Amino acid sequence: MSESVQQQILDIIAKHGDIDTSTLKPESTLTDLGIDSLEAIEIIFDIEEHFDITLPEQDPDFDADTAGGLVKAVEAALAAKSDGEDDSAA
Amino acid sequence: MRRVVITGMGTISALGHNADSAWKAMREGRSAIAALEGFDEPTLRVNIAAQVRDFDPAAHFERKKLPLLDRVSQFTLVAAREAVAQSGLDFSQSPLGHRTACVIGTGVGGEQTNDASSRKLYAEGSQRLHPLTIVRRMNNAPASQLCIEFGLRGPSFAVSSACASANHALAQALALIRSGSADVAVAGGTEACITLGVLRAWESMRVLADDTCRPFCKQRHGLVLGEGAGVFVLEEYEHARARGATILAEFAGAGMTADAEDMVAPSVDGAARAMQLALDDAGLGADEIGYINAHGTGTPANDPTETRAIHQVFGDHAMHLGVSSTKSVHGHALGAAGALELVAVIGALREGVLPPTANFIDPDPECDLDYVPNTARESAVGAALSNSFAFGGLNAVLALKKAG
Repeated sequence: MSESVQQQILDIIAKHGDIDTSTLKPESTLTDLGIDSLEAIEIIFDIEEHFDITLPEQDPDFDADTAGGLVKAVEAALAAKSDGEDDSAA
Repeated sequence: MRRVVITGMGTISALGHNADSAWKAMREGRSAIAALEGFDEPTLRVNIAAQVRDFDPAAHFERKKLPLLDRVSQFTLVAAREAVAQSGLDFSQSPLGHRTACVIGTGVGGEQTNDASSRKLYAEGSQRLHPLTIVRRMNNAPASQLCIEFGLRGPSFAVSSACASANHALAQALALIRSGSADVAVAGGTEACITLGVLRAWESMRVLADDTCRPFCKQRHGLVLGEGAGVFVLEEYEHARARGATILAEFAGAGMTADAEDMVAPSVDGAARAMQLALDDAGLGADEIGYINAHGTGTPANDPTETRAIHQVFGDHAMHLGVSSTKSVHGHALGAAGALELVAVIGALREGVLPPTANFIDPDPECDLDYVPNTARESAVGAALSNSFAFGGLNAVLALKKAG
């Protein structure tokens, strides 16, 4: 992957929030960044579309959790997806 | 009873992006019906429409706001901004915002969102839809967006009655002001219905014209779909007078009926009763009406039925008033129709000019009224009606009086 999962996620958040990527830190919460709950679900949607994954319904809590937490959730979903593909490939 | 006047109007349609350009085109009988654009579907038999052209949403809305706005809400906001600016009212001033209602009619609501979602689910096989799909799509989205933009905090809701939605919405707003539930109302109708799904559905009904819309004339072939929005600021008369507002017209009354007969076939009785009720509600005699903006869809069924209904209500006076259908120039914008047509009625009252029925060729013996064919006519009009008769047999007629 040319760009880390973390960087791709930070780019998506930055684009939505009109935030300079350099000021975004993995420990920033979406609330810190001034992103409201409606924007948060748009960000989750864009991340799902971008990575072609489905994030769990409740976990993590994107309002309180950090960008770093979002990265972990995406990595877990990507790993699950890759396992699924390995199983089906034959 | 509290009197209600109109102190602001705004519209966007195929005729242009403001009320002035729409009224000019109506007066000139300049039709905006043109080749259908935006569909790469060779099997589509619909080939014409009255589409809003040269509309760049990014020129009107912030980038972050746009994902919340279906085209139908975009039209509503553009029209409302014009109407509110003309009224000179500032709803952020308490208690005005709390005393202002908002009622917006729409037939199909966020249809562009609906169509895009269907495409994503069924054509692209996607498992997820955009998270704002619900709040873009819902029929009350246009009304809610207006409330948010202008700080309208009184009674607010959407009204849906297909092609009569705008007139029903305006009638509800009239009732809210008369009853004292509000002093001001922002009301009208909106529609952005030109999607593949809607075009295919209308195609199947076999009521669309393939040449143009020619209401009341012998060569009429059917209706032509349009789109747009019309929004008005309605105000209790003393409220408007006290602040020295310019009054565009008096909204004198409304009449509403249901045919309770057939889902599509129009009814003389249902239409006639709605017109009579509007006259009674406005305290107007039939002979005081100088102009009727007809429902006049240009279908074989509507136009003779509406003609007979006008004869029934107006008797001898039917031959002494102008009846025109401006759908000949702006198409049939379904839930926005009555709102676009109210611009024509206000223009006729203010300027003493009856807008023509455009595209008129030869008279039909079954349609024997004065349809003001093709050319506008000067005629001092003191009062007018505006007819809307919907599929489902739901009728709403508005009665307007010249200001002052």
